[in-house]
Amino acid sequence: MRMTPLAIIVGSLLLLFTIVFMVVVTPWYTTRNQAPSEIFRHRETPEAQGRLIYIENGCVYCHTQSIRTIDWGIGAERIAQAGDYIADHPILLGSERTGPDLSQEGGEHPDDWHMAHFVNPRFTRPMSIMPAFKFLGTDKLRLLTSYVQSLGMKDADARVLRQLYWKEAATRAYEAGPVENVRWLHDHVPEGWRILPNPYPTTPAGLARGHKIYQDFCFGCHGPIGDGMGPAQPFIYPPPLNFTILKNTDISGGILYYQIMNGITGTAMPYFKKDLESEKIWDVGNYVAVYFINQTDADGEPKAIDAANEPMDMPGEESSDQPPVGPDLPE
Amino acid sequence: MLAELSQLMVETATAKGERNVSIPSLPMTENYETAKGFCITSGFWMMIATFMGLLGATELMAPDILENIGWLVFGRVRPVHVNLVLFGFVTPGLLAAAFYYMPRLLRTTLYSEKLGVVSVLVWNLTLVATVVTLSAGYTQGREYAEMIWPVDMMVVISFLLVFINLFLTLRTRKEPVLYVSVWYVFAAIVLTATTYSLGNVIWRPGSGALRGIPDAILLWFYGHNVFGLLLTPLALGVTYYVIPKAVNRPLYSHTLSLIGFWSLIVVYTHIGTHHLIQVPVPTWLKVIAIVDSIGMVIPVMVVLINIWYTAKGELGKIHADIGAKFVFAGTIMYFFVSIQGSMMALPQVQRVTHFNNWVVGHAHIGVLGFAGMISLGGLYYVLPRIAGKPLFSRFLADFQYWMVLIGVSGFTIVLTIAGLIQGNAWLNGETVYRVLPQIHLYYVIRASLGVMIFLSAVVGFYNIIRTLYFNPGESAS
Repeated sequence: MRMTPLAIIVGSLLLLFTIVFMVVVTPWYTTRNQAPSEIFRHRETPEAQGRLIYIENGCVYCHTQSIRTIDWGIGAERIAQAGDYIADHPILLGSERTGPDLSQEGGEHPDDWHMAHFVNPRFTRPMSIMPAFKFLGTDKLRLLTSYVQSLGMKDADARVLRQLYWKEAATRAYEAGPVENVRWLHDHVPEGWRILPNPYPTTPAGLARGHKIYQDFCFGCHGPIGDGMGPAQPFIYPPPLNFTILKNTDISGGILYYQIMNGITGTAMPYFKKDLESEKIWDVGNYVAVYFINQTDADGEPKAIDAANEPMDMPGEESSDQPPVGPDLPE
Repeated sequence: MLAELSQLMVETATAKGERNVSIPSLPMTENYETAKGFCITSGFWMMIATFMGLLGATELMAPDILENIGWLVFGRVRPVHVNLVLFGFVTPGLLAAAFYYMPRLLRTTLYSEKLGVVSVLVWNLTLVATVVTLSAGYTQGREYAEMIWPVDMMVVISFLLVFINLFLTLRTRKEPVLYVSVWYVFAAIVLTATTYSLGNVIWRPGSGALRGIPDAILLWFYGHNVFGLLLTPLALGVTYYVIPKAVNRPLYSHTLSLIGFWSLIVVYTHIGTHHLIQVPVPTWLKVIAIVDSIGMVIPVMVVLINIWYTAKGELGKIHADIGAKFVFAGTIMYFFVSIQGSMMALPQVQRVTHFNNWVVGHAHIGVLGFAGMISLGGLYYVLPRIAGKPLFSRFLADFQYWMVLIGVSGFTIVLTIAGLIQGNAWLNGETVYRVLPQIHLYYVIRASLGVMIFLSAVVGFYNIIRTLYFNPGESAS
């Protein structure tokens, strides 16, 4: 083959156009009239404006909007469909997940959580490496929040409505004073959990684990001494709970566990069931109970069979009915 | 056909082996202003580009270090880094070499050094506009197609100016046979100007985007080809020039050159959708992308076999020339990044590697390890020849070689580890947030390696400037 200028320039362009026809134009033709998915809705004006702020600041470089069949995290309840994206111009699938996927972020948190999070992400998520966006100013952060709250479209709308419904109830309870507030909080924990003590004994190792979990997940709102005065506090209403008011309020390990696992929808308290496994939730609950409430029911009645790894004899513990070295074996 | 090929080999062998080996005495009109301009452009923007990379890496490690400085927020720093590396450092470096070897391979002088200098100036203006607009938040929000429409126009004009100059040079050629490097340079410029316009949807100045899934397909068609149709052919053009020259041998096989050239254009253009394997796009398109990604082994290995066989037994000569040393290291990186890329297109592999730092490692071995090192190689190869004096400091160039080589190898290792941690943790059901502290250490090492790359860029720029303008060395003529 003789490589002439014509062969090189025209030849490579002809190849390119042929291939563009095949791998760009043909799929464009077959996908351009994609029907909307069942959750699809158009964006309101503030949401569209918020999306522009999202684009301007390169949020797409760390947050995907692309839930895959293999995902477990936030939004994994629903695999992305082509019909979700029909209004996206440009599409913001993203290529890297330095932060979580945001496809279904709308309604996961109330607005005030997002405002605190944007001002400095470490206020709500202490281990986050997201930049602070305080420089955008309150107005732009509001728009950005309304965009984020729209992610997930109709599914997000339902979640946002639920947040608003419970926010009203939570606010009423908070404003009725600490006693009423605590009663309200406890009342929404299912009966079985309320009477459940923390089944595991307090151990130095368990408290150390709880301390680490508290530092990594809780301290931004509830503060280093558990008084609810963490750096996120000024942005959040009802404000983060001051744990010290829980003393002598029929607080139980079960209540703490349930609230950490499930979150308190309507307030800035998120659920941690995706972040923390069972042992970590018991440990951080007991850490809060021991250090901030100063009252723990760890290893209290009613008791089940001890877990295999539990220490046999706790220092300072009164002798119990249980034999110190395990049950007698039949002869 | 065979006779024609052997004729071609003999001609090129003559052209390369005898006439062009030593630094030729230059016609008075030929002063290489354009090549010099692109050398300085590349050297300068390598500093800025790698600094922005270092800054981004530092922010991932210490997110509040530049708290609330809007134009330096990570989401703006990253596209500035990527676009400057692409259009500021690597491409101008490869063009610098092209503006040196194209007239020689065509046995003529450059059509117009004046036009060339204008193209260098427009190129630099484009880069300034890129930095200003992206830092100020003016972006199309599409990866690798971030620049807004006016800047897109400047990019296209820059490529057109380069094309016009080289095409008119081609018209005055005295060499009837076009050497493989010439093919690659013309293909790169023509195809990139076209795919850039297409990928940036320049017929829609307002958004520069399509709507929905077709936008993703077009974006990744372009996003992938901006490497495969720009950096790869320009880098291979330099490789095909520098390696045979450095070892003073004809090319191993022109048949392989032909296969490598055409198969690159045919195969590479099919594979962009391998970025979308986990996205609801038509399945047949994913199948094409995966099959052709594996098929990339052909254009890659054909070229590498050709180059490596040309250099066989002559590694001493390559080692002796700092330019050839950079280029040869780049070919080895090309091997690794391509094989890795083919594997990464497999859905089972992507389950682990997609969306995490593995891909960032892959991008660095490709753009810095392969195209970047060859760009530096081309630059250092032509620098003494266009200066008419030896390189100011071989030591500093060697220093830069090792800093880049250690840096990019280190990047690949730590980012691959971080990616494996992330990918496997996510598959195991761990949240993105919880994995962050596990990869922190690798972010710290990555930023440290970034310091090496940045310092090597500063050293390189100093070496370029000293070689061109404040060179105490003996004039070679």
